[in-house]
Amino acid sequence: MTAPRLPVAALALLLAALPSRAATAQAAPPARLAASIRRLFGAGARVDTLRVDSAAVLRLSRGDSLLGFAEVGNVIGKDQPITFLVAVDPADRLKDVDILVYREPYGGEVAYEPWRRQFRGKTTADPIAVGRDIRSISGATISVQAVTAGVRRILADLTAWHGRGAIR
Amino acid sequence: MVPRRLSLIVVCLPAFLAAQERTTVGGYGEIHYTNRTGPNSPGQVNLRRFVLYLAHTFDDRLAFRSELEVEDAKLESGEPGGEVALEQAYLDYRLAERLTLRSGLVLPPIGIINETHEPPTFNGVDRPAFDRDVIPTTWREIGVGVLGSVPAIAGLGYRLYLVNGLKAEGFSAEQGIREGRQEGKEASFANPSLTGRLEWAQPGLKVGGSFWYGGTANQDSVLGNGTFAAPITLVSADARYEVGGIMLRGVVASISVSDAQAIDARYGGTVGSRIAGGYVEAAYNLLRPLAPASSQRLHAFVRHERYDTQASVPIGIAKHDSLARRITTIGLSYKPTYNTVFKGDYQVLRNKARVGEAEVLSLGLGYQF
Repeated sequence: MTAPRLPVAALALLLAALPSRAATAQAAPPARLAASIRRLFGAGARVDTLRVDSAAVLRLSRGDSLLGFAEVGNVIGKDQPITFLVAVDPADRLKDVDILVYREPYGGEVAYEPWRRQFRGKTTADPIAVGRDIRSISGATISVQAVTAGVRRILADLTAWHGRGAIR
Repeated sequence: MVPRRLSLIVVCLPAFLAAQERTTVGGYGEIHYTNRTGPNSPGQVNLRRFVLYLAHTFDDRLAFRSELEVEDAKLESGEPGGEVALEQAYLDYRLAERLTLRSGLVLPPIGIINETHEPPTFNGVDRPAFDRDVIPTTWREIGVGVLGSVPAIAGLGYRLYLVNGLKAEGFSAEQGIREGRQEGKEASFANPSLTGRLEWAQPGLKVGGSFWYGGTANQDSVLGNGTFAAPITLVSADARYEVGGIMLRGVVASISVSDAQAIDARYGGTVGSRIAGGYVEAAYNLLRPLAPASSQRLHAFVRHERYDTQASVPIGIAKHDSLARRITTIGLSYKPTYNTVFKGDYQVLRNKARVGEAEVLSLGLGYQF
């Protein structure tokens, strides 16, 4: 363990500055990201940043035990990027999805907990497809499709990287 | 390690703090084939709508959004039909994540179709007739407003606009308030009107309530000079529900034309004092049992509409039973992707007077991107 322990906020700021690999990388507000990490993994969790390919993956741990991984992604809705976070547990099960920044006037329902809840516990064995295991929201179809596809892709990447030891 | 990371911050931050200006192009459209029973009604194909969506992001908070529409493929002088029109054109200022200020040519947030009218989002080749004769889609007027969501109640959203009013001069018995719209063209602002909506969304469910209130007199010497002279009041409720391949939706609306008697006397029409009706629709995705792994969809649907643009008439005006309409539509929508659709339906048009009744076969395709 050579990585120094930095305050979560400082790391969040750092991470927010790292470009993610989406075509239109957008920063997540540091405070928002820090709050999301705190909600999902508890206060005081250690956060390390791992670089895999061009992606930045957050590694969450407490003492010697791994709590999970998280990655910030961006997808385009109707005309704006939607910035979201996907968190997984050490067994590659999806812990939760957080919408960090939603910028469009319509489709903001994807940030609502009852919709995001549908992703919890998913693994790459699940279809994670709108109309199959993810219910849509009328009038928010484009955002629903975009976020669902983005979550599926990030979960697949995190699972694959974890499987081959690129993150551990 | 720390210094290297810090240097990354220095390198990367400026690029992300600077607002990224960006222009987005999109669109939707639909092409229809319709064949109506009866004499002198050959089948017809029509490029019903071609709409370009153009948006520009100026910075993190300010964005322009617009839709430019060509109806019926072309516009030629001396020929009826065809229209080139701006359907929306407004600036959005995102004051907070849950609060956006909007100004420009906006869509009154009434019912389902007026705001969400891209062809892949509804069943049936043409929009419900209710959304032509009662809620006059695509209804757009110029104004200012706010939209957003209520933090305390998950899923609760609102929109509220102050826009230019309708003009009673355009009201008719057959199409209610439809031709009273001004649509952003040198519109009179004599009767600023309020319109708004509350809606509640859950996965698979959306329910909403909408209203419009405003005068329509346009400072006519007979109808009155007041801001709210010859007012109309529109209230509407709608619901959409989806569970296990079943999709249900319904809309009801009622429009009170308070001074219908004066309006009819002034313009010589037979506008109803109340315009009311609604529809219910049920659909089922046949591919859910047949091909559960497919992301394609094949909806079989049935819709029943009932509305009367003379649900009530002022004293002295004869009620036309032919305006009490009942329309039943059955059909299929095949969606290879969520944003493309091929449609077919059969409509039975009936009315209380039993005149001019017909059946219509329609085919169509639609897209949005």
